[in-house]
Amino acid sequence: MRTLHGRLYLLVILGGAVGVVGCKKGAPPPSETGAADTAAAAPAPAAPEAFAVAEVTLGKAIGTDKRVASPSTTFGPKDTIYASVATTGSAPSKTLTAKWTFQDGQTVKEGSETIAPTGPAVTEFHMAKPSGWPVGKYKVEISADGTPATTKEFEVKK
Amino acid sequence: MPDAKQPKADFSDVEGGSSSTAPAPSGRSYTVVKGDSLSKIAKHLYGDAQKWRKIYEANRDQIKNPDLIYPGQTFTIPDA
Repeated sequence: MRTLHGRLYLLVILGGAVGVVGCKKGAPPPSETGAADTAAAAPAPAAPEAFAVAEVTLGKAIGTDKRVASPSTTFGPKDTIYASVATTGSAPSKTLTAKWTFQDGQTVKEGSETIAPTGPAVTEFHMAKPSGWPVGKYKVEISADGTPATTKEFEVKK
Repeated sequence: MPDAKQPKADFSDVEGGSSSTAPAPSGRSYTVVKGDSLSKIAKHLYGDAQKWRKIYEANRDQIKNPDLIYPGQTFTIPDA
């Protein structure tokens, strides 16, 4: 009996040892790659976010972050008018264009900024008229690579 | 409707400008050759393989998986 018990104990111990080794074999192997394969060790990336114009805000002044602090759609004749364009996504090169027009269809000003965003960004366009803005209604159309994204209307009052 | 007799508004003295928090596109580009990886390109161009993510972020429209880049792809290389 002792011999039989001894053999059973031995089998149980050996079985346990095999089980442990088996578990280790199932674990992921340590990375054998060095710095040159950093990309392989990187966590799965999120799906690339496409570039898009998120929001356009008008105002009389901007902060260092290019954002309008006090949004407004009514301006005085001597105001500098800012359009702050918030974008999302990344792109190696995108050209944002702001086309400002007067109520009669006249183009007041057109400007563009080419950027290479790697995430959320803010681009500002501004215009001023030292002799004073004619009273009336205006609009600014923002486009990205020539494709209209959004239009904002505003008014100049005395 | 604007009055037809009203003189056309003069915008000849309008001044303007623009600026952005986003970087301007770099003039540098790199075309992938056989055997390249993002970290290998970063090591070659920046001297630091760990900067591979800068290239990845700037070219996300082309790179779906940072482990998979293909010979012939041309990437924009942002400033280090």
